[in-house]
Amino acid sequence: MTIVTGKAEARRRLQPGWSGALRKIWEHRADYAYVLPAIVVMLIVIAYPIYYTVELSFFKTPPGLQLRDKSFIGFDNYTAILTSQVFWKVTWNTLIWTLGSTLISFVLGFATALALHCDFIGRGVLRAILIIPWVISAVAASYIWKWIYHSDFGIIGAVLVGLGLTDRPPNFIDNVSTVLPSLIVVNIWREFPFAMIMMMAGLQTVPEQLLRAAEVDGANAWQRFWHVTFPHLRNVSTVTILLLAVANFNSFIIPWIMTGGGPSNASHIWITHIYELAFGRQRWGVASAYSVLLFLILMTLGYFYVRALSGNERKEGSA
Amino acid sequence: MTRIKLGSAVLRGTVVPVLMASLMSTSALGAAPVDLSKWSPEYVRSIAGTQDFDTAADCAKVTPLDYKGRLTFWYQGVFEGDPDLLRQYYKDFFETFRKTYPNIQLEDQALTYNDLLDKFRTALLGNAAPMAVRLQILGGTEFASKGYLQPLKPEDVGYSTEDFWPGAMKAVTWDGVTYGIPTNNETMAFIWNADIFKRAGLDPDKAPATWDDVIKYSKQIHDKLGIAGYGLVARKNAGNTPYRFMPQLWAYGGGVFDEATANPTYEQVELDSPQSKAALQASYDMYVRDKSVPVSALTNQQADNQPLFVAGQLGMMISHPSDYNVMLDLQAKATGADKDKAQTVIDNMRYGLIPTGPDGKRAVVFGGSNIHILKPEYVEGGKVDEPAAKAIICMWTSPEWSLKMAYAGSNPGNLNGFKTKWMKERLDNIKFLDVTTSMLPYGIPFPALPQSPEIMNIIVPDMLQNALTGAMTVDQAADDAAQKVKDLMGGL
Repeated sequence: MTIVTGKAEARRRLQPGWSGALRKIWEHRADYAYVLPAIVVMLIVIAYPIYYTVELSFFKTPPGLQLRDKSFIGFDNYTAILTSQVFWKVTWNTLIWTLGSTLISFVLGFATALALHCDFIGRGVLRAILIIPWVISAVAASYIWKWIYHSDFGIIGAVLVGLGLTDRPPNFIDNVSTVLPSLIVVNIWREFPFAMIMMMAGLQTVPEQLLRAAEVDGANAWQRFWHVTFPHLRNVSTVTILLLAVANFNSFIIPWIMTGGGPSNASHIWITHIYELAFGRQRWGVASAYSVLLFLILMTLGYFYVRALSGNERKEGSA
Repeated sequence: MTRIKLGSAVLRGTVVPVLMASLMSTSALGAAPVDLSKWSPEYVRSIAGTQDFDTAADCAKVTPLDYKGRLTFWYQGVFEGDPDLLRQYYKDFFETFRKTYPNIQLEDQALTYNDLLDKFRTALLGNAAPMAVRLQILGGTEFASKGYLQPLKPEDVGYSTEDFWPGAMKAVTWDGVTYGIPTNNETMAFIWNADIFKRAGLDPDKAPATWDDVIKYSKQIHDKLGIAGYGLVARKNAGNTPYRFMPQLWAYGGGVFDEATANPTYEQVELDSPQSKAALQASYDMYVRDKSVPVSALTNQQADNQPLFVAGQLGMMISHPSDYNVMLDLQAKATGADKDKAQTVIDNMRYGLIPTGPDGKRAVVFGGSNIHILKPEYVEGGKVDEPAAKAIICMWTSPEWSLKMAYAGSNPGNLNGFKTKWMKERLDNIKFLDVTTSMLPYGIPFPALPQSPEIMNIIVPDMLQNALTGAMTVDQAADDAAQKVKDLMGGL
């Protein structure tokens, strides 16, 4: 039932030509005023850099000149990127990095959350210990892992040699074939606690009476999980996967500190490549074009993230 | 822009006591330059401690000691691979500057070698650079050519151009104009562990004479003792890589251009020459064929080699004399049996000249750092306090401080630093200094081109990595690098 107040009616009479959207904005002007400072800040620190990056992506910025000496070249930077071999190599690395890190972190985090959802002695302590990789500084973790993996004196190599399993320490990060999987392992170690926390929170929302009812109906553990628990976790899973994917696509610290994108570009992902192009080689125009492409991909992921969140809200609203 | 005129300083009575003080000691302003034609360890010893300098009095002639101002200053400072001794000298310098110029509000920021260029470039894009900056030798030409730096020559801070190494002055000169002053200049040396040599059946007191010997020795050490022979370094975006590979490249007769010749023109790219390929092949032989160097070379910097060396797991490396002090620092931090082990390494540490190439050519990077003043339009706030900037530059490039700030490993940018009492003290305290001063005549500066940082920090290490990982053959890696340099020089 819609209640039309006299005030609202009078407002409508005052602005007879306004469209529905504008009228809504006018009606919510106080709300907009509250968010205005945040919008202004966002325009300064987000919208302008985005605009500038897009603009710069259409310019040639020779490394020997100042940025103000740039020249307009249209889509040439985009063409150069898409036709370069390095782009495809870096894109392939990025896909492996993002998918590998995201999916394995999620599965591992989910499995751990399920294990920790059961009641057992020491659960709290275990939960606290498992969160450590996530709260530890990524920079510190990268340096520690660099030494764990060290191709000559790493702990893993020493243990394997000590056990007689190998003559020489395995080459983890100085080899083009093994470097990316090795970095993904570090990333998973750091990220799976995030997935674990998200899924643990999700598990709290699964109605206990539904599980009990299913049990009474004769459903076994797997059936209870698949038909009751998992459907309830679908939205939180989507959100977790999207957040992990966005974070991994944007990930910089671990590959940069541990290998600098090497050896021989084997661990360069988009973000490290962009950094090197911009700050190491001063190809600001090309780096900007890369950034625009990355921005579009992340915005697409962001769209699905928002959709997933809205889906949650709608579901909760209808429930 | 703030300027102090000499006349107004005299009027304020600040110069008179300064002139009196300068009469009491020999001023750097009138000192005769060191005779480079006589350069040898004996000559360096003969001139050490022969002259006194009064830094405060000399700098007061440039900027009065009571000058009131504000200075923002970034510098390439000490990092994890430097000895504690150097940390102390840096601390002392800034304390002394603040005492000498109590009315200059100094906002200083230290950055490591590998971070400074990135941060400085970014700051320049946003017109948020500091008023003065001390950069690695590679950086001067890049920023001068782009118009970020003010003209600045030694005469502007009371010294003469002849007081500095001619090669170092080239690195701060662009298009005939001088844009900075060298603070320190360095040449590294060859270091080996005599005990490891002995155990491997090599002469413990004899350094490998040629790079081919290095390859042989490295293999022999590895095969006999199961440890790494030579401390190859091939990480990208790290200054350590070109400092260690370029001497090898030049010794084999190669180069990026013709920078190893007396009058380089930088017109012809030489990275794909047979000589350059031979140098790359030497690294390949050690890393891939013989597996006689650390596997971790592709991700290592020299700071990673130091613990390996002190642990007795590395036979040879190229570095500064300061590595001796670094070993002492590391030994002090070790415990139990590790401490004794480290002591054995220190007792067996030997320094020698960097090996020659097949034709007897010996080369080393003539490295170092320069100090510069920025143009006001690129500085935060749009103003440069020039007298304050010149005050710190005068102090840092003085005979006293250019020596002290290079005490443990490098050499003073100001040649008069070799005449100070601190040089004499240093010759007694810092082991193996003779070797690096002997290497100075073999020093070759990086190409004085704005493209040099990208060539040295990215293209050369990429070439090494491409060859050593098997991503490309030696020939392909050298050709690929040469093409990248050509593209870069062509403005791509």
